[in-house]
Amino acid sequence: MTRDEIGELAAAYALGALEGGELARFEALLRAQDADALAALRDAESTLVDLAAAAPTPPPPAVKAALMERIAAEPVAARPPAVLPLSRRRRPLWPVILSGAMAAGLAAVVVGWSVSATYEHRLDALARDADQLKAELRSQQTVLKILRDPATQVVSLAGLPPAPSARARMLWHATAGGVFVAAGLPAPPPGKAYQLWAIAGGNAPVSAGVFSVDASGTGSLSVAPLPGVSAVNAFAVTLEPAGGRPAPSGEMYLLGKS
Amino acid sequence: MPPAVAGSETFPALIARIATGDRDAFSRFYDLAAPLAFGLIRRVLRDPEAAAEVLQEVFWQVWKEAPQYDPKRGSPEAWLVMRAKTRAIDRLRSMRRRDRTFVGPVDEAVTRAEDAPGENPAARAEDRGLVQTALAQLPEPQRRVIEMAFFDGLTQSEIATKLGEPLGTVKTRARLGLERLRGALGEGRMSAT
Repeated sequence: MTRDEIGELAAAYALGALEGGELARFEALLRAQDADALAALRDAESTLVDLAAAAPTPPPPAVKAALMERIAAEPVAARPPAVLPLSRRRRPLWPVILSGAMAAGLAAVVVGWSVSATYEHRLDALARDADQLKAELRSQQTVLKILRDPATQVVSLAGLPPAPSARARMLWHATAGGVFVAAGLPAPPPGKAYQLWAIAGGNAPVSAGVFSVDASGTGSLSVAPLPGVSAVNAFAVTLEPAGGRPAPSGEMYLLGKS
Repeated sequence: MPPAVAGSETFPALIARIATGDRDAFSRFYDLAAPLAFGLIRRVLRDPEAAAEVLQEVFWQVWKEAPQYDPKRGSPEAWLVMRAKTRAIDRLRSMRRRDRTFVGPVDEAVTRAEDAPGENPAARAEDRGLVQTALAQLPEPQRRVIEMAFFDGLTQSEIATKLGEPLGTVKTRARLGLERLRGALGEGRMSAT
């Protein structure tokens, strides 16, 4: 390879414009500690540093405050391992859905038992529990209806670059609503939450609700039927300010077309 | 350029201290280097909120990955600026992908950040203020290639398609442009001192 060729690869690499086979070729040179490639890259990068340094911009003070808070919240002994595992073991989704459904069923049995044991003494409590049971039952019926109806769509959502190993599944029924389960998402930063969007035809995306994830990266959402939305083309998840936004504004984490 | 600082306060020394979990060193490094990274991020992302988020992510990476910093591969400034550039361009691409998916109105603040790359070079160049003085010394074809790659996040084959030029021409322009820029920025620094 001539010096000019190496110079071209280094320039494009530093600019972020290299791709495909050429990117692999240049990265191989860097891994092999090729002296010409390293020198050319250092030159290209230091030029871009100077270019950036020509227009420094003071960042908003809130960024440093948030960072220092995030660092202070880290356990002291928990410096991360130098090498992170390349891929996290994928947890299958169906057990998450089923265990949720089973837990809900078990909860219904427990509530029912406690109701029968005490109803003579606590009629008001009975009424309250019965309401709870009915609500529980309604939600179970919804899930059952969604699961049984052949009109239900199953949409798989794949992780996008912010979280490539994330994935999710949406069981969607136009008149009954839907059940959404996601796994492998990073915990949202403070003040942020994930928002699910339904995209139908050429219309603006419709919010299907806001959810968070637990420590293992799993989250779920039960979605009521969306007024005016029948055939959904795609579901997507973006990171938004907690509470959600009327229209998507943040990065997209998951996308699945139906 | 890092301000003149001594001993334990040079960038490499600060990175070494950050690698041991030294929060004061991190705070100092942030104060010295954040404007450099943020200047670049803001040039890639017009949306101030998205830019602030990217800056936070970049410095969070600095905190997490300081132990992996290898001085043989480049200066801490280059390490930081390349991270800032990569993350900002990732964000720009992800916003473009999102806007292609959502065929409806999105927030005004976001659409403004999505000016079509290179379509109004004069207005964009003006917006880029000081950077323009160094870039302005490049012949127009070289300047466009560098801007489209560095600030708009296009790959060299995307640039070739957009300009209707052979890929080889785009590659040569990127290399010559950077070489010339190095000369221009070097002179500027000398005349400023």
